[in-house]
Amino acid sequence: MSTATIGTAVPRVEGIDKLTGRARYAADFHPEGMAYGYGVYSTISRGRVVSIDTEQAQQMPGVIEIFHHDNFPELHRSPASFPEENMVDELRTPFEDDVVHYAGQFVAFVVAETFEQARNAAYRVRVDYDAESAAATLADGRARGTTEANRNERGDADAGFSSAEVTVDATYTTPVETHNPMELHATTAYWRDGRLVVHESTQGVIFARNTLAKNFDLDPSQIEIHADFIGSGFGGKLWLWPHCLATCAASRELGRPVQFMLPRQYMFTTSGHRPETSQHLRLGATRQGVLTSIMHESINSTSSINTFVEACGGSTASLYACDNLRVTHATAVVDRGTPTPMRAPGAGVGLFALESAMDELAIALDMDPLALRRKNFTEVDPDGGKPFSSNHMLECYDRAAERFGWADRDPAIGSMRDGDEILGWGLAACNWDAMRNPCDARVTLRPDGSATVHCATQDIGTGTYTIIAQTAADTLGIDIDRVHVAIGDSTFPHGQISGGSWATASILPAVIGACKAASDRLIEYAVKDGAPMAGANGDDLIYEAGVVKNGQGDQASAKAILKPLSLPSAVGDFHSDGATEPGYSYGSFGVHFVEIGWAPDIARLRARRVVSAVDAGAIINDRTARNQVEGAIVMGLGSALFEATEYDERTARPVNNNYAEYLVPVNADMPDLDVILLDHPDYKLNELGARGIGEIGLTGIQAAVANAVHHATGKRIRDLPIMLDKLMETS
Amino acid sequence: MKDATNMPVDVAIDLRINGKMTQLDVPPNVVLLDALRDRLGLTGTKKGCDHGQCGACTVLVNGEAVNSCLSLAVTHDGDDITTVEGLADGETLSPVQQAFLDHDAFQCGYCTPGQMVSATELMHNHAVGDTDADIAEAMSGNICRCGAYKNIVAAIQSARKAG
Repeated sequence: MSTATIGTAVPRVEGIDKLTGRARYAADFHPEGMAYGYGVYSTISRGRVVSIDTEQAQQMPGVIEIFHHDNFPELHRSPASFPEENMVDELRTPFEDDVVHYAGQFVAFVVAETFEQARNAAYRVRVDYDAESAAATLADGRARGTTEANRNERGDADAGFSSAEVTVDATYTTPVETHNPMELHATTAYWRDGRLVVHESTQGVIFARNTLAKNFDLDPSQIEIHADFIGSGFGGKLWLWPHCLATCAASRELGRPVQFMLPRQYMFTTSGHRPETSQHLRLGATRQGVLTSIMHESINSTSSINTFVEACGGSTASLYACDNLRVTHATAVVDRGTPTPMRAPGAGVGLFALESAMDELAIALDMDPLALRRKNFTEVDPDGGKPFSSNHMLECYDRAAERFGWADRDPAIGSMRDGDEILGWGLAACNWDAMRNPCDARVTLRPDGSATVHCATQDIGTGTYTIIAQTAADTLGIDIDRVHVAIGDSTFPHGQISGGSWATASILPAVIGACKAASDRLIEYAVKDGAPMAGANGDDLIYEAGVVKNGQGDQASAKAILKPLSLPSAVGDFHSDGATEPGYSYGSFGVHFVEIGWAPDIARLRARRVVSAVDAGAIINDRTARNQVEGAIVMGLGSALFEATEYDERTARPVNNNYAEYLVPVNADMPDLDVILLDHPDYKLNELGARGIGEIGLTGIQAAVANAVHHATGKRIRDLPIMLDKLMETS
Repeated sequence: MKDATNMPVDVAIDLRINGKMTQLDVPPNVVLLDALRDRLGLTGTKKGCDHGQCGACTVLVNGEAVNSCLSLAVTHDGDDITTVEGLADGETLSPVQQAFLDHDAFQCGYCTPGQMVSATELMHNHAVGDTDADIAEAMSGNICRCGAYKNIVAAIQSARKAG
């Protein structure tokens, strides 16, 4: 009998592969005869390609072909449907015409025998453009016009605001952020007997398969997507980007495998980003701090190719009790590539605005900001009126405040010091929807006592391999090292994307169901003629810890059952749907407390300490879950303090398109991190009570930093990131 | 060296990679990273930026951690090179690898080969002090976008104390 693993800190089951270099990512495959692709990218941001001169490049050693809009095969667009699971954000297929929509768009695709030869030739492709003036910033885009995408209203937000005793009215702005996963987007593609096989760095093998099926007008069964290991994605690898389609098409045209890696600088242009936002917040409250109105009106940048809406106000409608609310989302077109979801889309930057405004309201009320949030806590989701399935926000406030020492805070600006540093203490709520989507899984029990789980999902570093193994081991009652997890392959039973923080809640119930189906099958076999319990009534038998038992103390192993029947295995399939108990609003909740240090003499701002408490339902694996929240906090600190893709206002080209100038947090930027995971199961969502944990840690953290900065300096920074120049401005 | 058409010709180099002598004919514009990955099948070393900014491609050259993407393969004739594939002793993980596993010092695993190679150098680099801040500073040339920094520092501290 094995020991239960769920809820413990099992080491990652794929850890050895990652630590020895054996784990193979998309560009680690080198099929026989493989050629290399290298892109040529537009240097203008808006206009047309007038001519492409490939003569010199074509003569370069090793060059096989140079594709561009005059000679690229005609392909089809994907309908870009989320329900049909063929979503894309760049609707246009590469090279479909001569139009340039953004700088860094593919204008040619060179294929050569080696990487170096392809790169050399690409440098010699000459492109002439007819350039038009481009919109480089959200302000430029708004000057062209805005389009409202949606609105969510309840009560009378205007009346609630105008009658409020205390108000806040402020606009918060956030820049373009770029996902920058460590692994470059990469594709290794080949065609075999009319079938397309692709090793893709993707967060969704099923979506990738369905999208390529539309692009090439194939049946999805003719396509295999493999993603055994993914060097993370943070949303940037949810949907396919032009490089994948170009690589697959080149492979088909040339009749040989082609590999392509998107250079880092073009991961800032042609594979999505978090859009620029401008968010107008108005809060009204009574003198006692009861919210009477919330208005959150946001505009985000999108492209001329597709409309992407950053749902900044999604959490705003649900987080606090307030009868009067208006949330609107609008877009403005700029000449950049299409944005795409980036870790915690919407709330990631939306709660920067809302939770900064709540801090401003607390100050206007002369009220403790934690008390203000407690006062407006709600057990019913005001957006729709359903009760939350499980909401332990108040416990998060209590436990994190105690651990942080919030009671010792002196609210006076700049009043707390440690040596040369002025300390600032700030807090902000965090929040993320909990979703559960349909998922299939298959479990195969073999005579050697092992079990294999098949599911067309993938592990982007979140711990999916490990929690599937834990779930199967515990359900089957076998040791975790007897479980093999087979994911990252679109030919496996239909699985979910690694996104939206719903993989855990969606996949694990399917795994449990498939384990039970497989053990039921084993019982069916056990009573067949020639099997150990032939003639028994299957209803009288139970499966437990790897064996089938009757009530008389007899038991039979998988080997004892399968061998006499000459069967290879007992297989169980299961389809799992939505929430166990419908009729609730499902979400995760939490709070961040941040201590910043501001050293005015040397103009140094740093995060010193973060204490966060998160209520994300049952924790399946303490170490992988904790790593997720800590990592999200790190990324959120980057968003708060460093990260912004800057565009040349004349050319609309990104100017800091690399790791040296687009600053992401490094090891020395790390504060002391203390994450409290509440571990209250949410059985209304699924039988394990697990929600999801990948994104919530990134929400609210920027506001907690900004609020702490205000506490230290008296400066209210409403424009991310909080760079030194903003603190040194005298107003 | 160039041929009659002014194109560079391959150069023969000898590398000792993970203890094994390897002979390679390589064009002079091939960087060590691509030579390892594309020409020698050692794909454990990763390409994250090709500009020496992220550290994913870190390998040991004669015991010193270098960005293999910034170093031409032809300049390494006769050098001793250790990649992630050479850290373990057969099936036995090195102290750094074992510590990374024990402390969950990774998520996606893509920066991990470079992190561990840098950490392996730190095991013997006594110029780097013993505090967490010392380790964090020394490891700041290896970006982990998943943000597993806390566990990376804990893993290296544990390996260094044991070693």
